Amino acid sequence: MSALLDVTGLTKRFGGLTAVKDVTFSLQAGEITGILGPNGAGKTTLFNLLTGFIATETGSVVFDGHPIRGLAPHKIVNRGLARTFQLTRPFIGMSVVENVVVGCLAPRVRGDGPTEARARRMLEHVGLGAKADLLVDALPYGDLRRLEIARALVTRPKLLLLDEPFAGLGTSEIEPLAALIRELHDREGLTILIIEHRLREFMQLVGRVIAMDFGEIIAIGTPQEIVRHPKVVEAYIGRTENTRGVA
Amino acid sequence: MSIAKIDWLGALMAVAALLLVPIIARSNYIVVVLTVALCNAIWAASWDFMSGLTGRENFGHALFIGSGAYTAGFLNTALDLNPWWGLPSAAIVAVIFSLVIGVPTLRLRGPYFALAMLSGATVMQSLTIIFSEYTGGQDGLNGIFPIIDSETRYYYLVLAFMLATVLILKLIALSPWGTILRAIRGDEATCQAAGINVSFYKITALMISAAFAGMGGALYAHTLLQVGPDLFAVVLSINTIIFVYVGGMGTIYGPAGAALLLSLLIEELRFLGEFRLWFYYVVLIIILFFLPQGLVAPAWERVRGWATARRRRGLAL
Amino acid sequence: MLQILVYGAVISAIYAMLAVGFTLIFGVARILNLSHGAFYALGAYGVYVLTAILHVPLLIAAAISVLLVALFGIAVERVLIRPLRKSTLAVLMITLAVSLIVEQILLLIFGSEARNVPSMIDRTFLIGGVDISGQRLLALAGGIIVLGGLWLFMQKTRLGAAILAVSQDPEGAQYMGIPSNRIFSIVMGLSAGIAALAGVLVAPFQTVIPGMGLLPLVKAFAIVIVGGLGSIPGSILGALLLGYSETIIAFNVSIEWSQIVSVAAVLITLIIRPAGFFGKRAAF
Repeated sequence: MSALLDVTGLTKRFGGLTAVKDVTFSLQAGEITGILGPNGAGKTTLFNLLTGFIATETGSVVFDGHPIRGLAPHKIVNRGLARTFQLTRPFIGMSVVENVVVGCLAPRVRGDGPTEARARRMLEHVGLGAKADLLVDALPYGDLRRLEIARALVTRPKLLLLDEPFAGLGTSEIEPLAALIRELHDREGLTILIIEHRLREFMQLVGRVIAMDFGEIIAIGTPQEIVRHPKVVEAYIGRTENTRGVA
Repeated sequence: MSIAKIDWLGALMAVAALLLVPIIARSNYIVVVLTVALCNAIWAASWDFMSGLTGRENFGHALFIGSGAYTAGFLNTALDLNPWWGLPSAAIVAVIFSLVIGVPTLRLRGPYFALAMLSGATVMQSLTIIFSEYTGGQDGLNGIFPIIDSETRYYYLVLAFMLATVLILKLIALSPWGTILRAIRGDEATCQAAGINVSFYKITALMISAAFAGMGGALYAHTLLQVGPDLFAVVLSINTIIFVYVGGMGTIYGPAGAALLLSLLIEELRFLGEFRLWFYYVVLIIILFFLPQGLVAPAWERVRGWATARRRRGLAL
Repeated sequence: MLQILVYGAVISAIYAMLAVGFTLIFGVARILNLSHGAFYALGAYGVYVLTAILHVPLLIAAAISVLLVALFGIAVERVLIRPLRKSTLAVLMITLAVSLIVEQILLLIFGSEARNVPSMIDRTFLIGGVDISGQRLLALAGGIIVLGGLWLFMQKTRLGAAILAVSQDPEGAQYMGIPSNRIFSIVMGLSAGIAALAGVLVAPFQTVIPGMGLLPLVKAFAIVIVGGLGSIPGSILGALLLGYSETIIAFNVSIEWSQIVSVAAVLITLIIRPAGFFGKRAAF
């Protein structure tokens, strides 16, 4: 069975700094995989490279059998690879449902039926049904995260990239969000790749972890294996001795 | 959000008022003034369609106005073509300009895009003066033939164009196309992540804006029967933006209405002589500080709300 | 050839004064000040009024004019710009409005004919076979002195250090006890003062008309874009580039073509490398 996502030798340099170095890994369809690493490890840069928001000349990314490195972000979305942002920037001045309708207008899903109905259904699905007609400006942080997910989901992705979905949330908001993500995986067989810092919820959610540090992959394994992996421990604990600080 | 019955009613009343103008006007002069005001309205509505909706403020709208006007003038005076040809040609030339300047500059952030467009218009202004054998230099092109000989009937023609402009642009703005444009204003990266080809929508919005502005320029050329390099000037771009600020960004009809009102007002203030231009600047300052949402569209929203509330109460009785 | 060298230097010095003031207020306060040209014009008209009408001695008139315009700049910043700081485009519009209003006021009071301002140095000098007026040389010297002084000020004084701190991080500077808002006003005054000084120095040999500030503003803007918004070395480099290109084209082609150089430079820079030489990201 060929992998859904095949990343080989992906590298990105910004001037003298190598943000992502020779990253190679694969994702099988139906997995929930996590990317773990301290601040500055290159995780979000990796996401940006995979989704076309940053360009590079080195390495290859093959999604669903097709090479996608170098494609514009919207084209990648229309092939079934969607993402959310760590710093959500919704379409302010528009209502919650309108925010999702925009995703319904992507060429990939445009012909799927009346856009507003689809948008409302998706909002119900993520638990924002009651707030559909409010302006996005009024939504709290946790709801904005759900909105991000709704907007990404409505493009019918095969692979969903979540960038720190739990960042900045309180415990009461994390539980339901984690449950939603698990449900999306279990019920719809959605392949998910998550970047996170929050170890506990993260470890319970993912089946496999890719650990990164200084732009490189330092370990790949199950959550239990990773937590004990010497290089991972060093990356996190070792940091407190520098002034960089831990995640 | 869609066009409610009350909106059609309001529009009808405005149209009726505009139709009556030549009949109640004291002289042909007023008719011509209003024709110019209608051109201003077309320019304002077309600017609003692109910049009001997407938030990418274009400080060089005069580029499209001037190129449309000069195309119409040139075809008429130099090539002796029937003036009717000026209109579609103006639109096409303006669209070409929008592609030439838009494609490289639409990726720039806010103030830089504004500045690039402003520079584009200014370069065109200088080039117009330099290549005076084709453009008449500082004096411009004179002796353009009118499209229709009667000022009154020409007024109705321009009125029809203005109404068509506002209607077409408003309908597009209310359609999914418009939703996407407003999303671009919200956040471009998020829009891309939603699978939308942002560059395509930005450039087509600019092209549509240019087409209508160019036609407005051609109509203007055939009103005053002359064109000059001032049609590329910064002042023209800024005045258009002032109309939109006063009208209410993104509403399309607001800017058109504001253009009409302000153009009329400025005409009435003729007695102020040199102080006339001040009026615009004072208005701008007032809007920037006190009425950031504009005047015309918010006022109409109030009327609309009041009228709908009354109807609802009436039904309940 | 030598003519180009000398005249180019004079023009570059004037452009540098204007560009540096413009980039300074942007770099420190993120204000795109389109009324910068108005400060330049007011400097020139200030000297005119003080000498021709109030009969104040030339040098004192120059000093007073610069001071008054600096104060005007501070007033504009506090009253008109500060409330609108959130929106870059609102600031663009309001400063543009200020420049247009100032031009209208000047037009109303002084009419559109050019005004005469006496030279500070009446003689003509002969440099390597080139005739050049003393006033022009003074402008060149003035530019160099002012910019040199500014550099020293920024590097060596506490206020200069505070200004640099604010330009890098206004909030952070605030936490360190630096009053960012007051710094904005001071820098605005500085920027306006330098522009006014440029106006004062060129008034004797440039046409003093109400609209005299527009073209220099466009050029200052062009220089700053090419050099990189917020970068003083970039502005000086850009000023030299523009000053010399204009002079070379004016001498060898025509004056009209030389005027396009600046605007074309803006367009080309924005298309090829929007951040300019030393500036930061300007595109998405």
